[in-house]
Amino acid sequence: MDLLPFLVTQCLNAFSQAALLFFLGVGLTLIFGIMRIVNFAHGTFYMLGAFVGYTTVRITGSFWLALVVAPLVAGSIGAAFELGLLRRLYRRDASAFLMVTFGLTLVLEEVIRLTWGVQALQVEVPDLFAGIVFLFDEPFPVYRLFLAGAGVVVAIAIWQFLERTRLGLLIRATSQNSEMVHALGVDVNMVRSGIFGIGCGLAALGGVLAAPLVTASLGMAANAIIDAFVIVIIGGMGSFLGSLIAAVLVAFVQVFGNYYFPDFALAAMYLLMLLVLVIRPGGLLGKEA
Amino acid sequence: MPLLLLVVAALLAAAPLVLPVFVLTLLTEALILGLFAMSLDLMVGYTRLISFGHAAAYGLGAYGAGYILLHSATPLPLAILAASLFAGVVAVGVAWVCTMATGVSFSMLTLAFAQLLFAIAFKWTSVTGASDGLAGIPRRAGPFGLTVFETKVGYYELALFCLGVAYVFCRALVNAPFGAVLRGIRENEAKMLSLGYNTRLYKIAVVAISFALGGLAGALYSPFAGFANTDLVYWLFSGQVLIMVIVGGQGTLLGPILGAAFFMLVQQVLSKWTESWALFFGLIFIGFVMFAPEGIWGLLSRWRVRA
Amino acid sequence: MALLELHGLTKRYGGLLAVNDVSFNVESGEVRAVIGPNGAGKTSLFHLITGVVPPTAGEVRFEGRSLSGLSPYRICQTGLSRTFQLTSLFPEMTARENCRTAAQARLAGRWRPWGGRSVFAEASRRGDAALERLGLTEMASRPAGLLSHGDQRLLEVAMALSQQPRVLLLDEPTQGLSVEETATAVETLAGLLADGSLTVLLVEHDMEVVFRLAKRITVLHRGAVIADDTPEAVKANQSVQDAYLGGYH
Repeated sequence: MDLLPFLVTQCLNAFSQAALLFFLGVGLTLIFGIMRIVNFAHGTFYMLGAFVGYTTVRITGSFWLALVVAPLVAGSIGAAFELGLLRRLYRRDASAFLMVTFGLTLVLEEVIRLTWGVQALQVEVPDLFAGIVFLFDEPFPVYRLFLAGAGVVVAIAIWQFLERTRLGLLIRATSQNSEMVHALGVDVNMVRSGIFGIGCGLAALGGVLAAPLVTASLGMAANAIIDAFVIVIIGGMGSFLGSLIAAVLVAFVQVFGNYYFPDFALAAMYLLMLLVLVIRPGGLLGKEA
Repeated sequence: MPLLLLVVAALLAAAPLVLPVFVLTLLTEALILGLFAMSLDLMVGYTRLISFGHAAAYGLGAYGAGYILLHSATPLPLAILAASLFAGVVAVGVAWVCTMATGVSFSMLTLAFAQLLFAIAFKWTSVTGASDGLAGIPRRAGPFGLTVFETKVGYYELALFCLGVAYVFCRALVNAPFGAVLRGIRENEAKMLSLGYNTRLYKIAVVAISFALGGLAGALYSPFAGFANTDLVYWLFSGQVLIMVIVGGQGTLLGPILGAAFFMLVQQVLSKWTESWALFFGLIFIGFVMFAPEGIWGLLSRWRVRA
Repeated sequence: MALLELHGLTKRYGGLLAVNDVSFNVESGEVRAVIGPNGAGKTSLFHLITGVVPPTAGEVRFEGRSLSGLSPYRICQTGLSRTFQLTSLFPEMTARENCRTAAQARLAGRWRPWGGRSVFAEASRRGDAALERLGLTEMASRPAGLLSHGDQRLLEVAMALSQQPRVLLLDEPTQGLSVEETATAVETLAGLLADGSLTVLLVEHDMEVVFRLAKRITVLHRGAVIADDTPEAVKANQSVQDAYLGGYH
């Protein structure tokens, strides 16, 4: 294969992968930024998204509907969890959140196993994007192009949301100084539930989009949570732009790592993280950890 | 208190006289898990270093002992000791990296490291047997022709002995000046730095000790079970041992041992009538974190004070 | 040779000159205060001395040796003990344990992984002595987190004192105290400093506290030293009046 077509297809691959990683990481970093909570169940919401997406497609036949239903389901569960349990823990230290969301992970995993079984479930690529295109005479799946595009669209949407809307302003303000926002008389509690739900919903959206590539399976969550944490650590806890940059970096390392030294692709990702931590302990765009 | 402890230890040592073999097998596993949970307590309970990757210690010990026993004529106790040391030495490197971060980032780094080990165990066929794991690990006789560890009773006593020694060691450690430094780090690391403590060095030391003891537990397990596989390094196992520590009562050493026993008991009882015991265990865990963060040990001492 | 020397200490954050070419010496047995209106660079100066941030230029010398490039814990080990502007304690430990842990840092056996009775005994002895000097003996067995705010401020001083430091660095010791609490704390501190055995560098914005405690005053304004004199002379100094009172009222 010539160098140029190879590079183009691999880069596009990496960008589609980056889109999935970005959906995963940005929810986690938003939740952390505003609530100082590390949501261990994040990967499980990603997995939940894939399974709910599968069922929605089975029942309605519409992948597009799944893209709406799965985030809604995951988001509601997340918001309810925040409302019912997390809220009672705000006086405790950060580890309590880590533990309780870990408990949620165990419960959700088991519920998913009971509901959908242990078989990996195939989600069909929507007809519109089922084909392949030829780039420099190399075949390339259209769905991956769609993913890369979706990543760009969602990234811009979140960015605009943070920049332009009142809620977005509050989020940025709260991550800077939550006491000040309190003092301004904003109901921070409502913002918290909302953010937790949105973060979980974004993870689920990633899950649905990933499902046609990787099938919906019980192994998804562990890999997803680690990828998500790696992205957030590299990008800097709570930084939106950081998670975007980190997603792209990690995706490139994963894709090219898989090609050149498949046995050590995973190690490459950790090495990248290590490198960033040594140079900037708080992550690329984070404040000091 | 030490008297009560001695009585319990004596009772446990005499238990094989009356207990049927299958209970003894369960009890051996509980002792090994207890040792594992106690080793994590040094990090979680005493230093507030929340590790989500402690299965790495167990796995290093289990694979280490398995490899030594399968590929050399080393007697069992030496193999176990060597594997434990191996885990401790690897931990120095792991800790050196992980302690670059603090708080939640530290937890995530430990998780990442454990998963890295998991991936290695999964891929490195010639050493770890990949997805098959190591099977047929012998409980070799010796040294000096000692064959007692080949029997179930002998192995049980070995596990009990190891747990006892490890407990005495840990208790001495946390009561010593070193332990006082750990508690300082737990409560206010920034202050410890400003008081002139090189906190990172202490943290690396405690991670290494914790890994060596966790490795000891793993090294006891693989000859006991006869195998070592990737489940022993999987993140779910890391989570389970963390649950044992929290549910048992962190920062008490004995609590986590109780937590491990409780974990095994719940697993045994629940799995009799439902396959999804993990669901209930998750709920129990959430309940403890929410309403009884001091764990079983804390509940017991509260009850003792009232009585 | 002075105990602590600051030579042309400068810290620049982007375009902001937080600390501008500050030089002064602290002699052994001296109690010196650094004062200035909010934003004068007092806290930045403290960070530079204790190694929390590296200086853009200049250096700190302690007993003739440069502290450049040393991390905060190393600087503390050389004999400089500090308190924080925002109280920093071990809230679940008793006051005695707080001081014992502080004193332990200066003992050779602080690492001991077993035993260590003698280490604890010596550390407790030093800690209890420090508690006594700050009038906290009665509070010794209470958890630090449950003490009154005023006692917590003094406990932090006691912790620093337990380390038997060559220089004691106090960062606004009466920060956040009520008027009555401040008066009590200042009297306690004045008693502590009366015998002249301690070398103290004090950062403070409360003028009354400073005039009560310090024998020598350095006035900072916009990062630079505008006066360095006795309390009486500083009081009479017109440029200090302008800068300080102008900045305040």
